[in-house]
Amino acid sequence: MEHNTYIPKLAKIIHIKEEVSGARPVKTFHTQFLQENGFSYRCGQCAMLSVFGKGESMISISSSPLVKDYLQFSILKMGRVTSALHEKQVGDIIGIRGPYGNSFPIEKWRGKNLVFIGGGIGLAPIWSVLKTTLDKKKEYGNLSLFYGARTSNDIVYKEELEEIKEQMTVHLSIDVEEPDWKEYVGFVPLNILDKKPSPKNAITITCGPPIMIKFVIQNLQALGFKDEQIFTTVENKMKCGIGKCGRCNIGLHYVCKDGPVYSWADLKNLPQEY
Amino acid sequence: MDKILSKKAFPQWVKKLQPYRIYAPSRDNGIWIYKDIDKPEGIDLDFLTTALSAKAIIFPQREIFLEFEQTNESVPEINEVLPKDEPTIVFGVRPCDAKAVTLMDKVFGGDFEDIYYWKRRKQTVLVGLACSPPPSPNCFCLSVEGSPHSKEGLDILMTDLGDRYYTESLSKKGEEILNLGKGLFTQPKAEDKKKKEKIHADAEKQVKRHIKDLKKIPPKLQGMWDSPFWDDEAMSCLRCGICTYMCPTCHCFDINDEIYASSPPKGKRIRTWDTCQFPDFTMHSSGHNPRPDKASRLRQRIMHKFQYFVENYKNYQCTGCGRCISKCPVGIDIIEVLDKVRDYGA
Repeated sequence: MEHNTYIPKLAKIIHIKEEVSGARPVKTFHTQFLQENGFSYRCGQCAMLSVFGKGESMISISSSPLVKDYLQFSILKMGRVTSALHEKQVGDIIGIRGPYGNSFPIEKWRGKNLVFIGGGIGLAPIWSVLKTTLDKKKEYGNLSLFYGARTSNDIVYKEELEEIKEQMTVHLSIDVEEPDWKEYVGFVPLNILDKKPSPKNAITITCGPPIMIKFVIQNLQALGFKDEQIFTTVENKMKCGIGKCGRCNIGLHYVCKDGPVYSWADLKNLPQEY
Repeated sequence: MDKILSKKAFPQWVKKLQPYRIYAPSRDNGIWIYKDIDKPEGIDLDFLTTALSAKAIIFPQREIFLEFEQTNESVPEINEVLPKDEPTIVFGVRPCDAKAVTLMDKVFGGDFEDIYYWKRRKQTVLVGLACSPPPSPNCFCLSVEGSPHSKEGLDILMTDLGDRYYTESLSKKGEEILNLGKGLFTQPKAEDKKKKEKIHADAEKQVKRHIKDLKKIPPKLQGMWDSPFWDDEAMSCLRCGICTYMCPTCHCFDINDEIYASSPPKGKRIRTWDTCQFPDFTMHSSGHNPRPDKASRLRQRIMHKFQYFVENYKNYQCTGCGRCISKCPVGIDIIEVLDKVRDYGA
């Protein structure tokens, strides 16, 4: 029988962590396929998650491919499917198909300094590549992370951030002042100007709200980063995941198939359609 | 393999094709549509053009992908629902609509084959009818690498010679169904061939509408993404989407779950046609919309057909059937739009 990409594989939710509570809640899920034939994936790829009866939603895989016993998805409650996912309990079954899209070219980054820049839930799509390169730290140069959120409550992966601080530099920020906050206050792009990461032998990987990405790129350029050194991941509404349903395109590119990972050198030539 | 079939013998041939499911143009409430024919006498090839192309037979407006049912507390049952094994013949396919199927093949093929599409596609035989004269005043197939007698995508091309059909078999599938009518077909004489060629040449002369210098348009479009041109052109659009629903090459679709019972869930996942002309087609769940207005959506339709598709698949994604022009309630005319694109800023 030919492979039918539209049929999801069943997976069990084995762990749920509430990352952010309140009006913009985020939960992290770990899933395990019921059958042996799961899938292998690369850093930056996405998967289509199914809640049967509600539909499907494309979510980036935030676990490292080096982790073999589960897939990790961090999900902001937003629409019909993500709201249904937030209702799920440990032990519940969801559908997963994929993986879809291209990936970060980490093999080409060996020996380089990597500067990760995330905003809000935008840490999730770059967490896989961050964890993978951190696990193979010897193969890369200096690793650092800039991460910001609206408030301290909106910060995801709080414990993990504490853990990785021992292995790499982490610059946290929140948008507006809070009484016990000791780190940077202000938007992520400003924190970058403040700390001035060096473009020398460096690659930056950024993901966050479109407006943040825009100013991050501007400020990186001001610091001397070239377009080829700046990588980002893009999202658009998706249904099929395989470049056929016609809605996620940016010009002639389908984000689901040709993206979601782009260097700014490539993305700047595409129309502003995301 | 060229043959002659008298019009009288046509129903007898169709009768011999009974193992196949047969679709043919049929008049319904004043419009021609493809209908599942059970009596060979019911086929009337004296039609102009069908409202919807043969696309809808291979890529139906709505189809089931899978069914799901939560039978016990934990594991839902998922059943893949593939199209039936059902060899099918479509009669009366216009050459533009057959060419459109070859464009759909490109979209639904590639790295990820769409097995729903291909299951139907592989078991469908397309029997074309050359246009004489062109069926619509808005036909413009000659401008987009087609013709009223193009063979592209067809398994058989029939040409109406008055009391008989000149029948050309173009593929193994076509040969097979011709062979089922053994004894009904005769060898064409030299004058039959001559007559067929004259009909084809005359039909070409009768195509009234043309796009001049279409080759100049894809590179021109590349520089027009930010142009105010699209605002002007889209002003009158009602965003009804009929241009895309009627289009034989438009392939965009939606996937949704339909439920009979919510708790525990029981239902099916379906694919339906969708259109880039609807605002929520591209709207993120956050409310952000990369194509928020009529201008950006008209631009998408034109760019997709005449620039992106050309880059990605080396073809125009338009076969000149003219349906979008004839059916647009506010008279947006793709030929006029393209003419203006070509001359824009000149």
